[in-house]
Amino acid sequence: MTELENRILAEAQRLLSENLADVVIAFKQADTPLRPQPAFFTDAEAVNDLVYNGLCQNNLANYLTRYPREKKIAMVVRGCESRSVNALVLENQHPRENLYLIGIPCEGIVDWRKIVEAVGEDVLSVQDQADIVVVRTPKGEFTLDRAALMHGSCLRCTQKNPLGTDVTIGKPVAEQDPHLLRERVKNFEALGIQTRYEYFRQESERCIRCYACREACPMCYCEECFVDHTGPRWTESGVTPAGMQGWHIIRAFHQTGRCTSCGACERACPMDIHMTYLTDKLNTDMYDKYQFVAGLDAKTQTPFAAFNLDDKNRFVAGGTSK
Amino acid sequence: MWTNPVNPNPYLPTPMRVLHAYYESTDRSLKTLELAFVNQQDRVRFFEKFNPGQFCQLSVFGKGESPLGVASAAWEGDFVRFTVQKMGLVTKALHQLQPGDSLGLRGPLGNGFPLADWKGKNLVIIGGGCAFSTLYALTKHVQHAQNRADFGELIVIYGARSSGLCMYKHDIQSWYQRDDMQVHQAIDVPEEDWSHHVGYVPDVVKQIAPSPVNSVAIVCGPPIMTKFTLPALVGLGFPPETIFTSLEKRMKCGLGKCGRCNIGSKYICKDGPVFSLAELNALPADI
Amino acid sequence: MTYLLKKSEVNQTLRAWTSKAHVYAPQKVQKYAQFLPVGEDFELSVEEPHNTRFPPKALFLPQSETLLKYNPQKRELESAKTPDQPRIIFGIRPCDAKAVTLLDSVFSSEDNPDPFWQARRDQSVLVGLGCDQPCATCFCTSVESGPFDRSGLDAILTDLGDTYAVEPLTERGVSLFENLTVASAETTQTIQAIQEKATREMPIAFGREGLKAHLDELFENEIWEDFAKSCLGCGICTFLCPTCFCFDIVDEVRKSTRERNWDTCMFKVYSIEASGHNPRPSRRERTRQRLMHKYSYWLDHTGQTGCTGCGRCVRYCPVGLDIRAMVRKSVATPSEVPHVD
Repeated sequence: MTELENRILAEAQRLLSENLADVVIAFKQADTPLRPQPAFFTDAEAVNDLVYNGLCQNNLANYLTRYPREKKIAMVVRGCESRSVNALVLENQHPRENLYLIGIPCEGIVDWRKIVEAVGEDVLSVQDQADIVVVRTPKGEFTLDRAALMHGSCLRCTQKNPLGTDVTIGKPVAEQDPHLLRERVKNFEALGIQTRYEYFRQESERCIRCYACREACPMCYCEECFVDHTGPRWTESGVTPAGMQGWHIIRAFHQTGRCTSCGACERACPMDIHMTYLTDKLNTDMYDKYQFVAGLDAKTQTPFAAFNLDDKNRFVAGGTSK
Repeated sequence: MWTNPVNPNPYLPTPMRVLHAYYESTDRSLKTLELAFVNQQDRVRFFEKFNPGQFCQLSVFGKGESPLGVASAAWEGDFVRFTVQKMGLVTKALHQLQPGDSLGLRGPLGNGFPLADWKGKNLVIIGGGCAFSTLYALTKHVQHAQNRADFGELIVIYGARSSGLCMYKHDIQSWYQRDDMQVHQAIDVPEEDWSHHVGYVPDVVKQIAPSPVNSVAIVCGPPIMTKFTLPALVGLGFPPETIFTSLEKRMKCGLGKCGRCNIGSKYICKDGPVFSLAELNALPADI
Repeated sequence: MTYLLKKSEVNQTLRAWTSKAHVYAPQKVQKYAQFLPVGEDFELSVEEPHNTRFPPKALFLPQSETLLKYNPQKRELESAKTPDQPRIIFGIRPCDAKAVTLLDSVFSSEDNPDPFWQARRDQSVLVGLGCDQPCATCFCTSVESGPFDRSGLDAILTDLGDTYAVEPLTERGVSLFENLTVASAETTQTIQAIQEKATREMPIAFGREGLKAHLDELFENEIWEDFAKSCLGCGICTFLCPTCFCFDIVDEVRKSTRERNWDTCMFKVYSIEASGHNPRPSRRERTRQRLMHKYSYWLDHTGQTGCTGCGRCVRYCPVGLDIRAMVRKSVATPSEVPHVD
């Protein structure tokens, strides 16, 4: 166990034994080497298999909406997760007073796909060390540069340090240039419309409509997803261009002002589909038009959910524009 | 009219035409459709296989299919009756159909009631809500002069939430005049001018207390009614082998392929929808 | 008789077959391999020690498929055409071919054969590629199969370095490989040794004895709740599974068609009934259905386990749920433990 893991474990045990939390949501070692498993500890005595490393790829805020509001939930949160929690609290998914956030400054998530690309899909074990990742395979042991394995969303991350936590474990990390995400959007927009459409077509046509992106996303908590709605039906149900493109574009739009660019959708996708470029674009738009960044706090209403009599758009009585 | 080429495609419906369409309930949530076959060979093929308790997939093209129990007996004529509760996309579309309109039908599907095994037995028919429609088909079948002698006593217990939701009113009213059967109707809460039972079906069953001797009980209703009626019958002394029910599932193909109606070793669409309580007890509690 | 096919001649052989059939083989899509039609610029991709990411069941049961067309104006129905082209599927792994034979029990059943499945089956020749180096997520020998299982195959290949040994298993298989060099007795022995070694070295993931009965007794156990806790409820494990076959039927208005699309018991809407009642309302029941269907109900239906140990669900689960570990944990759970709400 690393020192960081020991400290998280001690905190989890304390919270449980002092009845400050009904459940501590963290990670434990899974049965497969590339992905630790979200873990739900309820007993201080049984927290021993807790792990925390760069392979912890899920956004744990995703599990928040599975609990009744009165449950006291403690959760390990990195920067993006803390923003997702804020966004969920803002949307009344759980009262903040029943949450206890154990913040961890994040060194970035290691993308299992990049490991697989480097060593093949047959992986026996992975060790995340400070600057390197050691991967054991039937073909032998590989030492990989950690920086080169970082998930795309983490490369562009603007909030590595968790926000609004109840306790923070580990030293704060340096934040990156906040324009990295915008750069990506700009570069993509610079491509011609044909190229951009071709890219979207190629990405969406690999979709198998397993909805792992939806299920991995903390903000996709709707009781009934639009794709399952029958009256009216919003998209074709099959793996047709209309169905697959419809799914990805509408999913992205539903995230406007809510997505925290955590990239959990992309990491869950079994077909390596890039989809964060759509939400990144919407995120930059939200900033440019409304100076809004999702999840910075749990109070500022998202522009599309806010109601204001002084709204500049004419659809509100008293609005100023004609 | 929809035409249908001769084809082994089991997903291809038989073309049908609406003969009659009328509301069953005052709130217009229940509508009965009587359908005629467009092609005579389809009619012959249907009635060769048909048995009360079976269901069909009704199609409105552009909307989809919906599984519905048949609400008529073969002797009633060359039509097939269904009572449709307005619930989702397809049932809403079915409600909009008028006499003369076209639709598709696949069926009859499923096993139906094991009538041969019930020969000589008293039948206790217990229904609730719109699920009574298949029991209506069973009652109509048994009532026919040619079939009536095959069975002993006939008791029908039928409950609805309110009098406005009672189906087949005029016909059921006439059953009270018959001397070869007993009818008990119930509504959940008292209403003025209601002279029959008031209360939930399981309680009415306990009150009427039909004899289990040489009897079978057939229960069709909403899941909650079935859940409490089955033990009530066991309490009255009905062995599980003599209690039957028809399961509702989200059936799609009706052929045991699409997998969705799987419960343990059974596919409800193919092996059911009619099961005895003894058979259900042997299945995982996935109902 | 065993033949030898030089790897350097595979591309050319497959291209030559395209004159008489549609030929499908694993090819690279982005960074993974998938079965695609062999065309002019075809390049075989079988370097990964395991199967393609997307299962070849889709060659027989496409994820989306038209069942019929309707013409709203003329009020005519038209059955979708059943495919009538001969096909050769090259490089299918034994687990995936075995899965196709399992699915035959559903789609080629005597009472109601599915004409679309049947047509594709009748017209397909399956050339399998045995697995001489089974990988960490494979467990075919634990589920009545093996790295050189011949089920469903018309011929099976064994990798000999720069050559494939070809063992035709059916007449169709024989006709595909007519003019090849015959392997020597010595080579035949080598092949046998490779196949036996691969089978022998495959670790057993769990014991199957008494497994079904035990799982049946665990139906109400809290173990399912435990598995479901981290489960996202996505469709990866079932859509990538070579034996999962559930589908939904929907009408597509824009195309005036009725289509079937793969569906999965892992989705909430899958089981919800017209009355609104959902017999599998939470992930607990849905996770249970997936595992129980494969390891119990399939045995009721066909006497065989509905899993061929391909390992896809293990490799791609976003939360690292491993069906082998789930089975092992089930086995380790005493069945008398009551379910606690």
